[in-house]
Amino acid sequence: MKENVASTVVFILLLFLNTNLLNGQSPPGKPEIFKCRSPEKETFTCWWKPGADGGLPTNYTLTYHKEGETFTHECPDYKTGGPNSCYFNKKHTSIWTIYIITVNATNQMGSSSSDPRYVDVTYIVEPDPPVNLTLELKQPEDRKPYLWIKWFPPTLVDVRSGWLTLQYEIRLKPEKAAEWETHFAGQQTQFKILSLYPGQKYLVQVHCKPDHGFWSEWSPESSIPIPNDFSMTDATVWIFVAVLSAVICLIMVWVVALKGYSMVTCILPPVPGPKIKGFDTHLLEVSPEKGKSEELLSALGCQDFPPTSDCEDLLVEFLEVDDSGDQQLLAAHSKEHPGQGVKPMHSDPDSDSGRGSCDSPSLLSEKCDEPRANPSKFHTPEGLEKAEKPETNVTQPQGPQSTSVEGKIPSLHASGSQSSTWPLLQPPGLHYSRSSYHSVADVCKLGLGTAGAASTLLDKTDTCALKPSQTIETGGEGKAAERGESESFRFKTDQDAARLLPQDKTPLTSAKPLEYVEIHKVSKDGALALLPKQNEHSGRAEKTSTPETSKEYSKVSRVMESNILVLVQNRRAQNLAPFEEPAKEAPPSLPQNPAAVDLASFPAAPSSCRLQLGGLDYLHPTGFMHPFQ
Amino acid sequence: MDNKGSSQKAGSLLLLLLLVSNLLLCKSVASLPICPSGAVNCQVSLRDLFDRAVILSHYIHNLSSEMFNEFDKRYAQGRGFITKAINSCHTSSLSTPEDKEQAQQVHHEVLLSMILGVLRSWNDPLYHLVTEVRGMQEAPESILSRAIEIEEQNKRLLEGMEKIVGQVHPGVKENEVYSVWSGLPSLQMADEDTRLFAFYNLLHCLRRDSHKIDSYLKLLKCRIIYDSNC
Repeated sequence: MKENVASTVVFILLLFLNTNLLNGQSPPGKPEIFKCRSPEKETFTCWWKPGADGGLPTNYTLTYHKEGETFTHECPDYKTGGPNSCYFNKKHTSIWTIYIITVNATNQMGSSSSDPRYVDVTYIVEPDPPVNLTLELKQPEDRKPYLWIKWFPPTLVDVRSGWLTLQYEIRLKPEKAAEWETHFAGQQTQFKILSLYPGQKYLVQVHCKPDHGFWSEWSPESSIPIPNDFSMTDATVWIFVAVLSAVICLIMVWVVALKGYSMVTCILPPVPGPKIKGFDTHLLEVSPEKGKSEELLSALGCQDFPPTSDCEDLLVEFLEVDDSGDQQLLAAHSKEHPGQGVKPMHSDPDSDSGRGSCDSPSLLSEKCDEPRANPSKFHTPEGLEKAEKPETNVTQPQGPQSTSVEGKIPSLHASGSQSSTWPLLQPPGLHYSRSSYHSVADVCKLGLGTAGAASTLLDKTDTCALKPSQTIETGGEGKAAERGESESFRFKTDQDAARLLPQDKTPLTSAKPLEYVEIHKVSKDGALALLPKQNEHSGRAEKTSTPETSKEYSKVSRVMESNILVLVQNRRAQNLAPFEEPAKEAPPSLPQNPAAVDLASFPAAPSSCRLQLGGLDYLHPTGFMHPFQ
Repeated sequence: MDNKGSSQKAGSLLLLLLLVSNLLLCKSVASLPICPSGAVNCQVSLRDLFDRAVILSHYIHNLSSEMFNEFDKRYAQGRGFITKAINSCHTSSLSTPEDKEQAQQVHHEVLLSMILGVLRSWNDPLYHLVTEVRGMQEAPESILSRAIEIEEQNKRLLEGMEKIVGQVHPGVKENEVYSVWSGLPSLQMADEDTRLFAFYNLLHCLRRDSHKIDSYLKLLKCRIIYDSNC
């Protein structure tokens, strides 16, 4: 029995439930408060969204309680805010207080409550849009026309007391345009628009924002047509002028940029630098005692051997040609710049380079005293001659010879303008005009000069050591060679002092005295003893007497680049003057004269003084080895 | 002769220099009419004082609001702190108007003193806020910088308010009423949840009180300066 009753009750209950389910009725779903808003910070409204109503009429109630209070209130006004809303009027609104609001949905089946929503009116202020938006076209006579937009704050907001401070923003666009043009208007309730396109209808809207709240909705559109004769500003003229001036400025800048450098150089020409390499005199003072050639050489301004192009200026010896009628080739006076009646041979017009130390003994001139009545012939003992250069006619009369020499000299120089510096270490084509000279030193110098020889006795105090006394055209050109100006110097080998005498008999007696180093002797070890010429007119016949007090150059200290002798000055007498010569230059151009002492072997036999004369002439060691040994 | 000429030149140059400096000084003075502290007959207008005070209060509230939003977004999500931050501000003991009508009924002297009370109540909490935020692990720079700025501006606003009170009610001896803050131990709790809630609560109260001060000041400004016709 009991079991039957129980099962029946269960059955009925199940049936009832099923019936209800079949009907679709259920307790209401959970509502949700989705928005609460205050238009003026004095009242606020909350709206909720109902859940599923369960098929039955559902009743919604809103309850709340405030922060700091305990009892719960119900919504005072369900109507004002519309359906599913609750409006809290001023009496029920407290600022700076949290409201905890809940919505309850109830129907026959049951009820459900929403999640509590925590609302503080302070932070939910969103005003209504501004009202009474008016548009007005103003066209004053003496000013530009403009559109005057005016509005009023929303009615509910109390701006006068300062409870809310509003800021406004307007936007406008031509009717057909796609994008709005927005302008911020601050706290003012009017705005002027100046740039408008005539002949179009404009739409304008405005909205506002409280000082710590949200932007309102946009006000309804106001429209105004702009008449066609709405004159725009004359900005076009100004724009045109501005563009034109900008273009002109750009052009000017461009021109200046292109020509700037030349303009600057025109206005401020560059300062020419000094061309003379100076001497470091204090080194000069020191070096003689110590006999250090490096110091000497550095004192003379040449930093290294072989002299580089920097030193060339210093070492240039110029051939001076006296074209004033004097047939003699004059050498520069000792320690003087060759000047008088001499054509400066330097190709460098603005420099007096090369003259510094020694009076430029020119290869063609001889200091004075040795009137070579007999133009001794310079001949390379073994015929060291420039093979490729035609043998000059040594028998030419002096006059013409001299003239020819002179002539050659200028041409030499002229052609070799760039080779004014003697240490032009260029090979073939080295040649120099015949000149008479009296000493080996001359020849040496000559040779050195011609070959661009790097024989640098740069000792200033030494009266003209082996300095190239002429500007020798470097080998590269060989123009002089082509002109047949190659001279061959022949050495007089039968003299005590190996003197390099010019082939021609150019009387050089009247030549300005040159200072140069003459080969004093050749010592046992093959070193050339060169003596500086003491005085202009010193008879060169006796060289042996001179050397004692003169500066002498001792043996070759080293050979550089296999063709340059580095001579070391030696205080002791009877030492061979060192000199360098660019031996290398000659060899390529020189014929391999078996008799000639080829330069290649020179390093092996430093004793032989090789002078490159004309690039092809050599002072054959055997020539003067014989007399001395 | 040369000496005289050079001295004349020097004199004229000096005069020119003086003139230029005077002009510059005059210009600079005119743009900043600040009364040196302690001056009795200061002529800075009340309008300027209020304008400056309103600017400061507006700025402080903006900073507080940003700071709270930043903290809420970063640390307080899903923790339900808002449910616990009810009636937890230390300045609630100061009875202040809760809506516009009440505020408009309060006399401006009372309102001014209320403002001062609230401002003074926040001196200590702001100082500790800065210290504790600095000590936080991964102290967020945005929050820290704002806290420092708020502390600084709060001091300036207090000074400005005292000047205003000095002008509106000169000679009134005011008893300094303010609320004592006792939330420091909570800020230094080891438990992270408790500590974070303490920060949240502090920032929440700061946001509210700065808004309150800003609203009162704007009411007072419109009332006193513009005669309720802003």
